[in-house]
Amino acid sequence: MSAIPSDSAPARREAEGWIKLRRLLANWQGMTGLVLVLLFFASAIFAPLVATHDPFALDIPARLSGPTLEHWAGTDQLGRDTYSRVIYGGRVALQVAAIGISVSLVFGLLLGMLAGFGPRWLDNFLLLLFDVVRSFPTIVMALAAVALLGPSLNLVLAIVIVTTIPGYARLVRTATLALKNTEFILAERALGVGTARILWRHVTPNVIGPMFILAAMDVPVVVTVEAGLSFLGLGVLPPTASWGSILNEGYLLIRETPWPVVAAGVPLVLTTLGFTFLGEALRDIFDPRLGKGR
Amino acid sequence: MSTLKLDRRSFLATSGAIGTAGFFGLPLFAGEAMAQVKKLIVRVDSDINLLDPAYMVGGSEIEIQKAVLPALVEFDDADGSYGWRPSAYVEKFEQRDDTHFDFTLKSGFMWTGGNGELTAEDVKYSYERMKTGDWKGNFEQLDRVEVTDKYSGTLVLSQPFAPFVIIALASGTGGILSKAAMAKVEGEKYTTEIPATCGPYLFEWVPQQKFVFKANPDWTGPKPAFEEVECLIIQEGSAAELAFEAGEVMATKISAATHARYLETPPANSTVTVAGALQYMWLGMNTENEKLADIKVRQAIQHAVDAQQVIDGAYSGTTAKSNGIICPGLIGHRTATKYSYDPAKAQALLAEAGVSGLELELKTLNVQERVLAAQIIQAQLQAVGITVKVIPVDEGPFWEMGDQEKGDYKNLQLWLMRFGTNTDPYEATQWFTSDQVGVWNWERWKDEEFDRLYKEGQVESDEAKRAEIYLRMQEIMEDTGAYVWINHEPETFVHRADLKITVMPSGEMIWRDFKSA
Repeated sequence: MSAIPSDSAPARREAEGWIKLRRLLANWQGMTGLVLVLLFFASAIFAPLVATHDPFALDIPARLSGPTLEHWAGTDQLGRDTYSRVIYGGRVALQVAAIGISVSLVFGLLLGMLAGFGPRWLDNFLLLLFDVVRSFPTIVMALAAVALLGPSLNLVLAIVIVTTIPGYARLVRTATLALKNTEFILAERALGVGTARILWRHVTPNVIGPMFILAAMDVPVVVTVEAGLSFLGLGVLPPTASWGSILNEGYLLIRETPWPVVAAGVPLVLTTLGFTFLGEALRDIFDPRLGKGR
Repeated sequence: MSTLKLDRRSFLATSGAIGTAGFFGLPLFAGEAMAQVKKLIVRVDSDINLLDPAYMVGGSEIEIQKAVLPALVEFDDADGSYGWRPSAYVEKFEQRDDTHFDFTLKSGFMWTGGNGELTAEDVKYSYERMKTGDWKGNFEQLDRVEVTDKYSGTLVLSQPFAPFVIIALASGTGGILSKAAMAKVEGEKYTTEIPATCGPYLFEWVPQQKFVFKANPDWTGPKPAFEEVECLIIQEGSAAELAFEAGEVMATKISAATHARYLETPPANSTVTVAGALQYMWLGMNTENEKLADIKVRQAIQHAVDAQQVIDGAYSGTTAKSNGIICPGLIGHRTATKYSYDPAKAQALLAEAGVSGLELELKTLNVQERVLAAQIIQAQLQAVGITVKVIPVDEGPFWEMGDQEKGDYKNLQLWLMRFGTNTDPYEATQWFTSDQVGVWNWERWKDEEFDRLYKEGQVESDEAKRAEIYLRMQEIMEDTGAYVWINHEPETFVHRADLKITVMPSGEMIWRDFKSA
């Protein structure tokens, strides 16, 4: 350890970090993505401050109004403020995305490394399992699950997690397989380091980067899955607002008023764009194979 | 409503149609050309499962049978009330006394497939067969059919039953089958292929797409106004409305919200017809569930729900407020409830029952209007301190929720239910007797007086006395505390102004009676 100058490595890493951050900020897509993502987080986290009304308060005489000073995005069929419902709907989206993605990341990482690093039979078994899960169409599986268990947000989360894990796990497995026979891992093994330590200290840092980029790009997928299920009435329970359920109500009312569809559609589009831009920019910056070609 | 005008909507619809026609390379005025061959194009909302009158589900299956099967009587809407008249197949159909109905068929009506002529034997076979099928409730009082000669016979009832003709014969269950053709069918039951038909049309079915009715060349009865009928199966209500506004279908059923919109801005050249409000919806409570076992809690809920607000919010104010299960226009229709919307009283009742922080589940079909209605009720109950979780349920599990054999009936607490009925009050009361507990009486109460009145109502022929019986029966239901009456949803149709439609009060279209004006 002492052979390496104590200050140079972290300093170099820090400098590299700054360069990458600056590259991200200089990239217009990355910048737009970052701003949209921050807006999404802020509006969801500070929803009670940002919303103008109680999202559940009925006002039937004022139903189906267009945008006014009082109701910025109009009201729905029960006279509830659409703008406030959309803001609170962001919380549902954030909750599903944050919990869903992080849980699947953890499980994906664990299972993927197990498959890649473990014995051959375990690898085969896990691969079979991943492929079986991946072969289910998400929405059809969700329909079946809801028919059995009834709609709820937890079920949506469970479905998101179960269907997302195989994607991460396969990515991690491939990366682990590639690392498995590299010299530094062989050297560790020769030194008698335990499997758990090899995985944690040496494999994880090498596979986690691409995982985060993939996760950023998966957020819009998860958000739209939640919105899709809620649109079909299989997600959140009324009166909880989700972008999907607002879209569905708006879709049924589209001939009366376009505002609910617009109000729920815009944040859905912006969030999707935001995370996609951010994910792509991150990939461009952090993936060394892409960087060299530019 | 029938004035021709060009507004934004019709302009859009027209340009949309022009665009679509251009895109598919269709002649632009295909609709006009169709009108000349006298073709009727309508929308139906569901495909068929079973066309056997004894085992069918209903809806479009009844509509098909009405178009191709003979019947002794038919539904009559001539004077705006729900009545019946002898059909085109009979010389006469007369009531001799309380329990005897004489009929004489016209000669010369031939069954398809070489199954001979329509005879009194077919009538006997068909109606006595109904007594063993799923719809036997309608034929409970029919004792037998006596055949006098080839074309004549008598329907004999076991006891006087005032609404027999309208319930059993003029409704969807009155179709007559060919005895000869049925003898060739295995088990004398069929599914989607009717063994022999005898009507103005021949039926073709394109599953999941459409029903096609072409003129029957052997038909000797009165010619219908339209030589051909095409029924497009469109399940989604808003898609059907678009199809109507674009001129693709000439008539369709519409939702309450659309009805409200059409009242304000009707589509050009169209008429809205309300067929009847023979549906009754209520908020049901399970009297055997531990949280609702105390009648004071149930009464509190009765006082906490404002049905008018539900109607305004979820049904755009287009439906009639309900006060019981007997629909408007029928004998025994109630005009008021004994309870009233009074949140303070509700809170007092809850306090009296010693209940606080009550949490309940409210289940509803996953249909827009009902989910909205459930949310309004949720807010109203929240106002008196009852927390309600709204659970939208899909059709399959919904209809089994209170079924003692299939559903989780013990944990069922609150639900929004809508039943349809026909034009006699007897029909609606049959689902709430003691032997219906766990079948359709999901509220799970029993009352001896109710059961006795149910029997009395069937045989009573004095209208005033019948009315009294049914009023009292609804009062008994209400006094259980297990019902909050919501509304009577009408069956509403929009159709071209140059089309006169005939719809049964229960919402089925009778295409052979459609006329072009």
